[in-house]
Amino acid sequence: MGTALLEVREVTKRFPGVLANDKVSLSLAEGEIVALLGENGAGKSTLMNVVYGLLAPDGGEILVDGNTVHVRSPRHAIDLGIGMVHQHFMLVEPLTVTENIVLGIEPTRYGEVIDFAKARADVAELSERYGLFVDPGATVRDLPVGMQQRVEILKALYRRARVLILDEPTAVLTPQEVRELFAVVRSLVAEGLSVVFITHKLEEVMSIADRVVVMRDGRVVGETRPSETDTAGLALMMVGRDVVFRIEKQPSTCGDTILEVSDVSVLDERRLEAVHSVSFRVCAGEILAIAGVSGNGQTELVEAITGLRKVAGGAITLAGSDITHASARQTIEAGVSHVPEDRHRRGMVLEFDLAENMILGDHRRLPFARHGVMDKAAIARITTERVAEYDVRTPSIRVAGNALSGGNQQKLVLARELGRDPELLVAAQPTRGLDVGAIEFVHKQILAERDVGKGVLLVSLELEEIQTLADRILVMFEGRIVKEFAAGEASDEDLGYYMTGGGGDKLAGEHAELSGTEVD
Amino acid sequence: MENGRDRDAGMRRLRAVLEQVATPFVSVVIAMAIGSVIIWAVGYDPVKAFSALFAGAFGGPRQIGETMLRATPLIFTGLAVAYGFRAGLFNIGAEGQLFMGGLVAAWLGIALAGLPTFVIIPTILVAGALAGAAWAFVPALLKARVGAHEVITTMMFTFIARYIVSWLVTGSLKAPGQIPQTDPLPVESTLPRFIDILPGLGTGRAHLGFLIAIVFAVVVWWVLKYTTLGYEARAVGFNRWASETGGVSVSATTVKSLCISGALAAMAGITEVIGVHGRLFDQFSAGFGFTGIAVALLARNNPLGVIATAVLFGALSAGAGTMQLQANVPHKVIFIIQGLVIFLVAAQQLAHWILHPLKGREEVKGA
Amino acid sequence: MLSEILTPDLFASAIRIATPLALAAIGGTICERSGVVNIALEGIMLFGAFMGVVGAAFTGSAWVGVIVAVFAGMSLALVHAFASITLKTDQVVSGTAINILAGGLTGFFMEVIFHRPGTTDPVARLQPVFDLSGPAGGFLGSAWRWIDTIFLSYTPIVYFAILIAIAGQWALFNTRWGLRLRALGEHPRAADTVGISVVRGRYMAVLTSGALAGLAGANLTLEQVGSFTEGMTNGRGFIALAANIFGRWTPGGSYGASLLFGFADALQIKLQFLRDVITIPSQFFLMLPYVLTVVVLAGVVGRAVAPAAIGKPYEKG
Repeated sequence: MGTALLEVREVTKRFPGVLANDKVSLSLAEGEIVALLGENGAGKSTLMNVVYGLLAPDGGEILVDGNTVHVRSPRHAIDLGIGMVHQHFMLVEPLTVTENIVLGIEPTRYGEVIDFAKARADVAELSERYGLFVDPGATVRDLPVGMQQRVEILKALYRRARVLILDEPTAVLTPQEVRELFAVVRSLVAEGLSVVFITHKLEEVMSIADRVVVMRDGRVVGETRPSETDTAGLALMMVGRDVVFRIEKQPSTCGDTILEVSDVSVLDERRLEAVHSVSFRVCAGEILAIAGVSGNGQTELVEAITGLRKVAGGAITLAGSDITHASARQTIEAGVSHVPEDRHRRGMVLEFDLAENMILGDHRRLPFARHGVMDKAAIARITTERVAEYDVRTPSIRVAGNALSGGNQQKLVLARELGRDPELLVAAQPTRGLDVGAIEFVHKQILAERDVGKGVLLVSLELEEIQTLADRILVMFEGRIVKEFAAGEASDEDLGYYMTGGGGDKLAGEHAELSGTEVD
Repeated sequence: MENGRDRDAGMRRLRAVLEQVATPFVSVVIAMAIGSVIIWAVGYDPVKAFSALFAGAFGGPRQIGETMLRATPLIFTGLAVAYGFRAGLFNIGAEGQLFMGGLVAAWLGIALAGLPTFVIIPTILVAGALAGAAWAFVPALLKARVGAHEVITTMMFTFIARYIVSWLVTGSLKAPGQIPQTDPLPVESTLPRFIDILPGLGTGRAHLGFLIAIVFAVVVWWVLKYTTLGYEARAVGFNRWASETGGVSVSATTVKSLCISGALAAMAGITEVIGVHGRLFDQFSAGFGFTGIAVALLARNNPLGVIATAVLFGALSAGAGTMQLQANVPHKVIFIIQGLVIFLVAAQQLAHWILHPLKGREEVKGA
Repeated sequence: MLSEILTPDLFASAIRIATPLALAAIGGTICERSGVVNIALEGIMLFGAFMGVVGAAFTGSAWVGVIVAVFAGMSLALVHAFASITLKTDQVVSGTAINILAGGLTGFFMEVIFHRPGTTDPVARLQPVFDLSGPAGGFLGSAWRWIDTIFLSYTPIVYFAILIAIAGQWALFNTRWGLRLRALGEHPRAADTVGISVVRGRYMAVLTSGALAGLAGANLTLEQVGSFTEGMTNGRGFIALAANIFGRWTPGGSYGASLLFGFADALQIKLQFLRDVITIPSQFFLMLPYVLTVVVLAGVVGRAVAPAAIGKPYEKG
């Protein structure tokens, strides 16, 4: 195979209290696609940030074309031919596609004046060559996520990258966009580029990678080829134990209607209708899951139900009483608990200690407060009880929320929301970014809530989570409920089909194609 | 085991308190050192200057009384700014609310002449505080509704307040004579001095407002720590999104908090008018609203800490006159020290940056 | 009466009054475009105004005063840059510290240098650039009076401010500097990953704003008044920030908004001279710019979109 284009030798990176990379080695040949597989927190992104010059390694070396290099900065990485597409795009949203692509190496006249004509021509030529079609004059903010990703790739190509690092590139894409991305990646490789593909999704590894490097707890735990393994084998390597656990679930007993959503429409920040006349019911003792690709109105729907967003039309009733125009506070008092999708933004006040976080939402009510004065003793007692009950690992209830790990933070949020004994639990992406153990815990709590006869509305982007928990599944696409399934009725492919706007005749053909691409 | 945990928690608490006190203390020392260098550089004697300042602030009961007198408005404005900061609001316009409080105090003090003191004083306190709250209300509403930054709007309202006071003391409230000021308040409208009650104290002009200010500090501390009002203010100050999700109305909390801040600032104007000057004129505040920012920041927005930092700045201000008299150093040097203190307290990383420039950068990178 | 008000010198005085606001507002625009809030404009302007007088007093040259003012502004801006960029201090708090510091420094050194508080001795001023004579009477004379007053009557910094507004507007959207500046305030990490130094870019922007605010101060003392009075900026730095917002974070818009404030102020001065006709206390006229600022903020802020990363220190990695 000759010299590797990029080689990482025994790279070590420490953060305070964490060994993020422990003597990690990796090599990449010309024209090769290497998948870097691992769970959240396995150290994949850290490694690539070291390669890209964003982090300085504590040990080991990096070689490009067989020569040792010290990558000082992203700019230096670019000069070495390494380009990276970050999970959170590095795009300046109010600028145009062209401006974003040339930023930092602008073609100029007289030294300072940007030659926009040349810039646009260069960008057009590049997108032509690699089949990455995007309007050079469009403002990035107005582009869909898939298009923005193309701009990121073009940015790297414009800088003559030979190695392209893609960090969780499919996390934000629809299945069609994933397909298009894979096509692009294959054409890049055909043009002689090499690609490092960071992911935690087994199917993607199987369908795109030439070689797979698996990371766990900061170490490389295995290396293989898709042809030599299957998803189960990869999963075993990735997690270190058999992951095919299925939570035992009794069939649901549907009782009275807890939540009724009728013809509800909701506007987003730009005052466009994000939810169009959606109707459904959640009954006592069932988990109703809403499946959908991110950005199809789920967030707005959840915010409307929980009183955080105005309802533009329709009605919402909770156990028979109207909560359509209830404030967040009234909604909570009516018996709705909410596990928000963004823990740090909406779920908790990171600067507050655990006790202060535990009462958020109940802070005006008994037993925590009476006539506006808080009962510190009761707050401490109940917090201590719930912290124990929900297994929140903390040295004390007096530490700030940001001292906890993500899993413990989510347990804290659950302890608060379930401890209030609600009628309805609205859980939006309750396991996002959590490790396997925490996911299992959260799932069990949600099921337990159902089993005592509460209603649960679960919104998730993870099909696995939906299949594990749901008694009924609604599929949401572009602000509408496009399909309903009973538990166990739909395969992942069926869900994926409706999640991407399937159901119309013209997409029938793609359904077959989609089923073919996705590997179980 | 439990005991050990308690002891650990106790140690942690102690260390946290020490850390909280250490930074402000070091900041003040550094600021004074820089002030000394400036004094020395322009040809004065800093030792003489600071000993004159100290003597002017603490040299005897009269001087201590003067320090208490100067600290009184600063406790109120410090509390005002601190309460705002806790709710995520920067009330840079405490000065304007202070003016409105002073205005209402002077107006009622004269208008209610003849009524008994125990009626007039509470009326003045309540009405003046409401005036301060009202003066903060429009900026608060603009912040809550359209997101207009309170730093600019409250600042503008400060200028407007000054012109209103200037207009009234040169117009309808003007006392006969050349000087633009109101009539003196009748004695029943003024706060007694300590020496009016206990003549042996010898505390000069210091008045009961100082005690009122301390009571207010304790009340504000209690409100922030033990009431839902304070809890919601702090929640919004830290994270408005989580607060909203927890059923806290962000806009109502913003309006309430800035109005409370305005009322506290107004207390400074009220006590200055009815406790110190006994009348209103357009220069009656020596920038107390702005010094309140330094007071609050130095106290880390802790209401009880505000008492201590206000006394410190009160002492600087009380001693500045003596310093100018005895060492010829222009008293404005204390504003230089004030600015430096704010700067140093806010720049908590400064010490870190000086001691470990390289380590600091590496840690930032890893963050 | 209208003809008494709408005279050419009303417009000329609007442009003169707008000049310090515009310079500071453009400084604010550049600074905020890079992601740093500069509430210190007020103090920097005050310091520049004072140091300009000091420079002029010691050398007898107003031009030297201008240069001293610019460097003085930059030196205070450097403090703000160090605090907010390197030390990652809260930018509004750092700005406030500088405002108080500037008040203290100018008051203190005024007594040290000029031996009295209040107002300094008068110093040399910059003279109008053009001194042309035109036809005296008739229609031509009247037309010439308008042209001469509105276009040709100004001192150098007034013209410079107009130049800066035009050049800045063009450069922000057509040059490498402008593109990078816009990127810094919107998504500093994106800029960093393509090799643009966030720290250097922000330092440069803050220093530029300091230079412009210092120049604004020089305009006040060395062109308009001829001496320094304590606290003479009187909130202009804050009004300039509002003008920058009203001008949607563009140099041209900042100038336009400043002109609006300048016109309001010029109008109130004019109306004060007609006190026999209009019996409103002068304080209400003096309030006008501040009221206008609040109205402008109330009206536009909801719709104006600030640079996304404004006020946030940049954390690498």
